[in-house]
Amino acid sequence: MTFMGTMTVVWYSALPWLWLLALMLVLFLVPQVIARMKGYAFTQKGGVGSKYLPPLVFVLALFLLPLHTQSSIAYVNTWVDWLNLIGASVGLGIYAWLVFHPVCYLRNRKA
Amino acid sequence: MSKNSLPFENVSRRDLLKFGIGAGVVGPLALSSTSAQAINTNAHFVIVGAGAGGTSMASRLSRALNGARVTIIDARERHHYQPGWTLVASGVWNKNKTLSNTQDWLPNSVEWIRGRVAEYDPDNNRVLLETGEAVPYDYLIVACGLQLRYERIEGMDVDLIGQGKGVGSVYASIEHAEKTNNEINQWVASGGGTGLFNLPPTALKCAGAPLKMTFTTLSKLEGSGRRDNFNVEFMTPSGGLFGVPFYNDFVKQRFEDQGVKRNDFWTLKGIDADTKKATYLVKGERTGEASSGHYTTGGGNQQQEWEETKDFDFIHVVPPMTAPDSILNSPLVFADDEAFPTWMKVDRETLQNPDYPNVWGIGDVMGMPSNKTAASVKMQASVLEQNILAYLQDRPLPARHNGYTSCPLITGIGKAMLVEFGWGGELLPSFSFIDPKQESWTVWVMKERMLRPAYYAMLEGRV
Repeated sequence: MTFMGTMTVVWYSALPWLWLLALMLVLFLVPQVIARMKGYAFTQKGGVGSKYLPPLVFVLALFLLPLHTQSSIAYVNTWVDWLNLIGASVGLGIYAWLVFHPVCYLRNRKA
Repeated sequence: MSKNSLPFENVSRRDLLKFGIGAGVVGPLALSSTSAQAINTNAHFVIVGAGAGGTSMASRLSRALNGARVTIIDARERHHYQPGWTLVASGVWNKNKTLSNTQDWLPNSVEWIRGRVAEYDPDNNRVLLETGEAVPYDYLIVACGLQLRYERIEGMDVDLIGQGKGVGSVYASIEHAEKTNNEINQWVASGGGTGLFNLPPTALKCAGAPLKMTFTTLSKLEGSGRRDNFNVEFMTPSGGLFGVPFYNDFVKQRFEDQGVKRNDFWTLKGIDADTKKATYLVKGERTGEASSGHYTTGGGNQQQEWEETKDFDFIHVVPPMTAPDSILNSPLVFADDEAFPTWMKVDRETLQNPDYPNVWGIGDVMGMPSNKTAASVKMQASVLEQNILAYLQDRPLPARHNGYTSCPLITGIGKAMLVEFGWGGELLPSFSFIDPKQESWTVWVMKERMLRPAYYAMLEGRV
């Protein structure tokens, strides 16, 4: 497949989800920017939220991602299925940490 | 692109957006990027049909040729993503997901004639429209699709679909696919009864669709918690369920496991929607009552033919299919004593008509084993472009179609198998990491989320 062919497929795949990608970007950037203006770094101490919510998001994603595709975890069958599901769930867990960690930092700072 | 143009002179804003979004994800693939040198010609290309094949070729030719005139003929204002119809008929998709505007896919340089071809006149290099207007051409690409022959089933009318009479057919149109879903839901909600699922006695487009409709309906029946109250039967005119032996055996076994009774050599002959009865022409050796399924199928001269009638609460009708009448009545059709007498004649590897070398085919209209899918069109478009460009330059035709076709075989709502094969049923998997013989959630996600973007890229002639 040519480069432009790949781009075209990626474009049409992303098109219905541009609103979600934009929303996720905002949810990621707003706490990051605010927290960093107040001395935040990834190495700072988080809080209960950033400790427990990302794993919870990971576990929930394992079940909810197949449901979101009108399927079920019972149909996750091959190693590629599991790799995709675990990879996507880990990604969402990391995203949750990136959102919650600065939020917790700001809460700690307030307290 | 002409020699004097700047690198991004012809790149649209949409292309730049694609580049921006995709670059970070697939940057390394840029290394495999290629761009063909456009060919100068003042030839007039006429493409009949603005479906998957026609639109794809219009996009490819308008990019590959400088100075050519490309005309496409089709009356439909709406473009249909037909691979999504089974998802609509299964209640997974809303029908709007399959609809777009024909105009949106046609390059600006392509002239669109809103009309239908009534007659092909290849001896005089022209086609005649239903209005009587003649459209001359230097090169003709026939991409007009096929004709659904519901009229060959006595008592069948597509208007019966969605009338609450238990008649469904995913093939008739997107509206009928939606109504088929309603009929199936109504049958499932009724709590019991018999469902008859059929294959036609002819070649058919998306040959996996009748199986998919059976499997997704089984998912609904099993989900209702009252599966035992439903009798599901599948009728095959040829005795086969799928062209590739592995999948044929797989589906047979799965039907057995899921309690689907198979009736081999049963061809739907007529239906009476009011009394909910279907008439079949049965071939075989008659050794018992139809209701007990005690028929042994014979072979050769031992075969008998007789009629059977079955009651149904739901029937999925798959019509016989042929090339459109305009092709059947033209010199472009296979002769009666040739391999595919009701389809357009092409060399199955070069896609060129052997009698009229300036006439080419793509898509469902062509006579060849299987290959009536959008996935086939994707492969054919690339072959056709290379061969037409070579023909224009008096070079030997370089590309050969290997019969590639693909069917993400939905085996239940939420799982599927990625079936890809070529001539002779040889498996041609595109992804080494996807096992073509395993049901998979990933393949379901591909079918549900990824294939439509790939199809749109194909319409733009990018893949």
